[in-house]
Formats: sequence, C-alpha cells, structure tokens
Amino acid sequence: MTDLVVAPLLVALFTAVATLPLRSARRVQQAVSVAGGVVYLVAVAALVRAVKADGDGYLVYELSNWDAPFGITLVADDLSVLMLGLTAVVSLAALVFSVRGIPAVGQRLSYHPLYHLMVVGVTGSFLTGDIFNLFVWFEVMLMSSYVLVVFYSGPDETRAALHYAFLNLLGSAVMLLSIGGLYATTGTLNMADMAEYLAAAPASQTTPVLGLSAMLFAVFALKAGIVPFQFWVPDAYRAAPAPVAAMLAGVVKKVGIYAIVRLYFTVFAVATLPPGPFGDNATFLAFFGPVFLLMAIGSIVVGGLGAVGREDLDGLLAYSSIGQVGFIVLPLAVAASAVPAAGTAIPGDGIVTLGITAALVYSVNHGLAKSLLFFVSGALSRTLGTVRFDALGGVSERNPALAGSFFIGALALIGIPPLSGFFGKFLVFDVGARAGSWVVLGVALLGAILTIAYFTLAWARGFWGPPSDAVAGAHVDRSFVLVAAVLAVAIVVLGVGFGPLYDLSYEAARSATETQGYVDAVLGGSQ
Amino acid sequence: MSALAAALALQQSEPNTQFVLAVVLGLLFAIGTFLVLRRDVVRVVWGITIISQATNMYLVTMGGLAGSVPILGHGEAADPATVANPLVQALVLTAIVIGFGTTAFALVLTYRVYEEHGTIDLAELGENPPETGVSANTGSTMDGPEADPEAVTTADGGSQSGTDSSAGTAGVGDD
Amino acid sequence: MSSETDTTVIARTVVRVVVPIILLTAVALLLQGHNLPGGGFIAGVLTVTAFALVYIVFGREFLQRSLLHVEEDGFLGGAIGEYGRTFTFGLALAASAGVGSIVLGELLDDGQFEFLTQGVVFVYHVPVYHEIEIPTALFFDLGVYFVVVGALLTILAVVGRE
Repeated sequence: MTDLVVAPLLVALFTAVATLPLRSARRVQQAVSVAGGVVYLVAVAALVRAVKADGDGYLVYELSNWDAPFGITLVADDLSVLMLGLTAVVSLAALVFSVRGIPAVGQRLSYHPLYHLMVVGVTGSFLTGDIFNLFVWFEVMLMSSYVLVVFYSGPDETRAALHYAFLNLLGSAVMLLSIGGLYATTGTLNMADMAEYLAAAPASQTTPVLGLSAMLFAVFALKAGIVPFQFWVPDAYRAAPAPVAAMLAGVVKKVGIYAIVRLYFTVFAVATLPPGPFGDNATFLAFFGPVFLLMAIGSIVVGGLGAVGREDLDGLLAYSSIGQVGFIVLPLAVAASAVPAAGTAIPGDGIVTLGITAALVYSVNHGLAKSLLFFVSGALSRTLGTVRFDALGGVSERNPALAGSFFIGALALIGIPPLSGFFGKFLVFDVGARAGSWVVLGVALLGAILTIAYFTLAWARGFWGPPSDAVAGAHVDRSFVLVAAVLAVAIVVLGVGFGPLYDLSYEAARSATETQGYVDAVLGGSQ
Repeated sequence: MSALAAALALQQSEPNTQFVLAVVLGLLFAIGTFLVLRRDVVRVVWGITIISQATNMYLVTMGGLAGSVPILGHGEAADPATVANPLVQALVLTAIVIGFGTTAFALVLTYRVYEEHGTIDLAELGENPPETGVSANTGSTMDGPEADPEAVTTADGGSQSGTDSSAGTAGVGDD
Repeated sequence: MSSETDTTVIARTVVRVVVPIILLTAVALLLQGHNLPGGGFIAGVLTVTAFALVYIVFGREFLQRSLLHVEEDGFLGGAIGEYGRTFTFGLALAASAGVGSIVLGELLDDGQFEFLTQGVVFVYHVPVYHEIEIPTALFFDLGVYFVVVGALLTILAVVGRE
C-alpha cells in the first residue's frame, strides 16, 4: 500500500477544497476543517506504521508513474515521518484553537482553506524527493502563510507582514536560482540521483555545487529564521494570529531545518571538497560545519538577549524561537564537523548520528512547547486584548490550568527533567562534550541561562502575583485551555516515556545519514 | 545527462548568444536589486518581479541555448544534440505560474497598504506613531470586533475592519 | 449600447470582434495543452483577458449584469461568489483528476496507478476530425483553467470595485 505515502497530502488538499464552498456555513466549515485535521493525523499515523513495517524503511512513491530520476518521487522515510508526526499534532491543536481563536469574520473568509493549503505545502516539503518539487511545496506553504500573516493581522502590522512576504519572495527567487544551477551542474533534480552523481564526481566538478548549496543554505536559513536571516521573525510572529504563529514557529520553521538535514546530510554530504583549507577528501559538510556553528551561536545569542528585553509575551516567544533554533543548529554543526572523509560510511553510533538525533529531538520538543506557549499567549490576547507584561499579572491565580500549561511549556524549553526538553538539552550538551568542543558547551550553557532568564521574567511579570485588573475580570475560553493542557500533557508524557521519541529520532538520523540506502531505495525502483 | 552535455557543448559553440544573455541577466538582476532597495512599495514589488523573471530566464539558459524546439516531433527523430533540454522549460513554466501568483498577491498587498495607511512609502509606514499605547500584538486582530461582513473587502481574506482597537507599533522595527 | 463608460466606438467595435477570437484561442490552447504548447493556465489567463477587455470597455456593471446575469455583488455573494465557486470547482476537479487514477487502478485491478497517473483514449472514425484524442490530463487542465479564471476574476472584481 504505497498509496499511503500520498495520503496525508491528499487529505490536507481535499480538506482545503471541501472547506472552500462551506464558507457560508461557519459551523459546518469548522467541523469539516477539524475533522480534516483528525483524518490527517490518522493518515500520518498509518504512514508511520507503514514505514516502520517496511523492511528498509523507505517508502517510495512515483507520482504519475514516472520512474525515479525522471518523474517526481515522494519518499517517506524515518526522517520524513517524524516531521510529519510533529506537523499532524501541532496542526490539529492549532485548528482546534482557531475555532474560537480567530474572529468569526476572519474564518468566514478563507482561513480554513488557506490553513489546510499550508499543511499541504508542509507535507509536500517533508515528503518530496525532488529538489524542484521542494521549491514548489515551499511556495505553496509560503503563499498560504503570507495571506494568513498579512490578511489576518491588524493594520498596524502591515509593515511586518510586508517584510515577511517580500523577504521570502526574494528568498524564493534565490532558491530557484540555486536549483537551476544545481540542475545545470549535476544534470538532475532528483535528490537521490544528485547524491549518486556527487558521490562519483571528482572535486573539480563539485566546486560549483558548493557555491550553489551555500546559496541554497541561505534560503533555508531564511525560512528557519537562523541568524543572520532572522530579522523578519519577531515582527511576523507578532503580526500573525496565535494559531498561525504556532504553526509558523512549530512546523514551518522545521521545514527549513528538515531541508537542511535532508539536503546537506543526505545529498551534499557525499560530495568531495576541492583540496584546500579543509584538507584532501573532505566533504561539503566540513565546509558547512563552521558555518552552522557561527550561525547557531549568533541565533542563540541574538534570540536569548532579544527575548530578555521584550515587553510583551508574543515578542518574547518570537525571539525565543530564534534562540531555540540556534539550539537545533548547534548539534547539527557538531555533526557536520564530525563527518568523516568522503567515501567513508557514517558510523551509526558516532557523533554525526548523535548530533542529528539531538537536533531532531530538540525540534520535536520545540515544536510542541513553542506552539503551546503561542496558544497560551493567543488565549490571553484574545481574552484580554493585549499580552504586554504591564497589563498581565496573576494569571496563575485566575486560571491555574492555563498558567500551568505555560509553566510546563516554559520548563520544557528551559530543559527541566522529566520533560522532553530536558533530553533535548541534555543531548545537545552530550554532543558538545563528546566532540570536546568548549565553544559548543559554552554557547549552549549561555543559551540555557538566557532561556531560564527570559522565562523567569515572563513568569514573574505575567503569571505570578496578584491578578491585574484586566486579568481579574477575564474569562478564558475553555477550548483554549483544553488545547494548551493537552499539549502540556503530551510534553510531560514524551518526557517521562522518552524512549520511543529517542528511538524515532535516532532512526530518523540514521536514515538522514545513510545516503546509500536512500539512493538504493529511490533509484532501485519500487516498480 | 547526455542531452545536457550536448546542450553544454552547443552553448560553447555559440559564444555570442551566451554573452548577450549573460549581460542581459546581469542587467535584469541589477535593475531588480536597485528597485528592491527603494522605499516605494510598488517599486519593491516591481523589483521582486524583475528578479524572479530574471531567474526564469537564467533557468532557460541552463537548458542550452541553441538547437531546435525541445519536444521531438513525429517521424524521424532529431539528433538529441540539436535539441534544447525540455525539462528546464517545464520548470520555468511552473516558476512563471508561481511568480504570477506571488505578483498578484504582492500587488493586492500593496493596494491594501495604501488603503490602510494612505502611503506606500516604507519609511513612512515604519514611523506610524502608536495611538493608544496598547501593544502591537496578535491581540489587535484576535480581539477585532466580530465585525459586520460589509467591512471586509479584500480578495483572499482578512478583516479590514479598520476599527481594530490597538494601533501601536511599539517594539516593531527591531531589524 | 448600455455603456456608462466614455470609451470610443472604435474600442467597442474592436472588443466585439476580438473577444470571441480570444475565447476561441483559449479553448484551442486548453484542448491541445496535454502535448502541445498551451494548457489550462494559459487558457485561463487568455479567457480572463477577454473578460478584462469587456470590463474595461463596457464597464463592470455590463459584465456582471448582462453577461453573467448576477445581481449586485455582496460579500461572498453575487459575482464574487460566482467566481469563488468557479475557483472551488476547478480546484476540486484538478484534485479529483489526480485521485481518479488511484481509484481506477483499484477498480480495474490491473496493476496500481499512482496519484496523477495519466492516460489517453483515442476515438476513431469521427467526422471531420477523423480521430480525437481524449487524454485524462484534459480534466486536470480543465480544473486548472477554472482555478485560474475564478481567481483572476475575483481579483479583477474586488480591485475593480474599489
């Protein structure tokens, strides 16, 4: 049943189509939309099972029945399904939140169809095995998110929305440029085929690919909001309504991370650098390792310091997600630097795999926790009309469940055991220690301290103490509390029973580094 | 792959087209970049459009410049060496459609900016003073009145109720 | 002439001649799009060009009242609602055209067809044309056509109304 590969994509697509004509029947539209989210979750779960049950762990689906290097191929492996699982959970939570969290008139316009189209784009990006197709899915995802950010924000945030849209439009042009260059150099768009070509090509032929892949990396970094491409993040997240901000921070950012892991650790990892400062026979990752490291350090510092100085909860969360993405890139940097010389297989128990595992665990944790925090912030702003700290205060007394959820989400990002965030942070430190890199350890420590600082500030100013006037009279909608509480429970459960998440992430990391397995699965032909 | 090699070989045989296209591409990118850096939003949109069109052109040149039309006709098969690479043309078609959508969106967005702020100057947009001192957060929309549908005008959604309570840009402009 | 705009006779006459030609070209492009230059997107754009010409020369009222027979446009109703439905129908058609192959593959049970797999049926002994080629890609193209027409007309109507 390889049709399962395309199932999540189709579910989201048809939900988008089904919610379009229902715009005049609000209740029905909401019901169909949420039902679509549930079916999406079920489809993803079925796909996860199918991938786990499959012998080599790769489900290859050739769209239109064109054979692999020529047609567009969808590939579901451990890495893809891990990210899809995160998407399914966060998007369903955000949908339930949207029912009450988006003003009725906004929903009556095209909110639900656009939302599901965004999920289509995300799903396609995670599944595709074709680099141009990746661009198309990025565009689908971004087009919907532009509209969601721009048209559902107030007039005063138009400038932020403009920045978001224009920067990403430029990013898309650059992405297309690099893809065109890659096609001209390698003669293929299929990721597996490209990996095969790069593995065999001598250094002299891969040199242009290095530049193109660096350009492509800048685009992914822009989408993921990594320093120095982070400047659109705070404004856009503040401008977007809470469920959309949760999706952007929790899932859309991870698409950038996924693309980095997939393309750089699976495809470009096998290419040989020309002899130079990185020694003979070094892979591309030897070049990207220091780049990742610098950007991760920048993200952690900028995000952390920026978050400490915020006066409102939304801004704090937005800066915090810049810093947290730094924590995801940091182990990737260590992993990239540790990749052995070209032609040698990456060991399953080495620093490379561990680093990617750490990044993935952290991604899942951040996806859940950050969306939870955005939901809390959205619930407050929907109820109170503001999330400035000087208007908040005493939420924990007025609504313990909501405040408790925030507390758990914040603790998860800080990394307190037994929450899932602890293991994420622990793995990052573990990777740094094994690599013997004091820089990594120092930066991670600094980032951890900053995280503690800004969440302590948020908690003390927004949630503790006597209720402010606004908070005392507020009544938070139950569905908001429910969504936040469910995610909080999920974070606790994932942390207490950490084994399965680690196994999933580890296998995903394995599958990201096993270029040969990927190439064989795709080009070997499922037909 | 062999078609590509052939296409590359052909490119080398036609240095003039190659040169002209390279110059044109460079010019287009230069114009686009110049426009993107302007303060006028409409100019920025034009700049982005020109850059994406230049990208499309660049993609086409990647498929080989000389040679006959890509799709082989009926009957006697043409020598692959004389045929341009068809794949990039398919890519460009896709990219054109996407670019078309984004351009339409960007123009609608510009129109909305003009409608809401009465200006399309990016710098003037930035210095909009906060009116009520409430924050620039999602609250402003979330909290927007469950307004009458008549207040809504844009194509692809979005409340333009304009009565949104808070108008602060506090904290905006961190970049 | 129910025109409220101050366009010249020349413009009106030219549009009357040109619009049918544009529409015909659009249909031709739509039908040959599966293996010759053309396709749903460009056919849709051409169709909208025809509409835009009518719109510019004869005015929006004429386009919506006399041609499309819809009354004053409210929110999500009237002409814009009509365009929205065109868009929705197109999207549904295009998406179903892809799934059709999966369903057919299951039904015919002769091997599996992937999502979006296309096929073609030839109809022979047709008068005048002799043979007609009916590709499944036509349904997809038709869907794209409606999507493009619906979306562009919506933009035209909304921006034009301001």
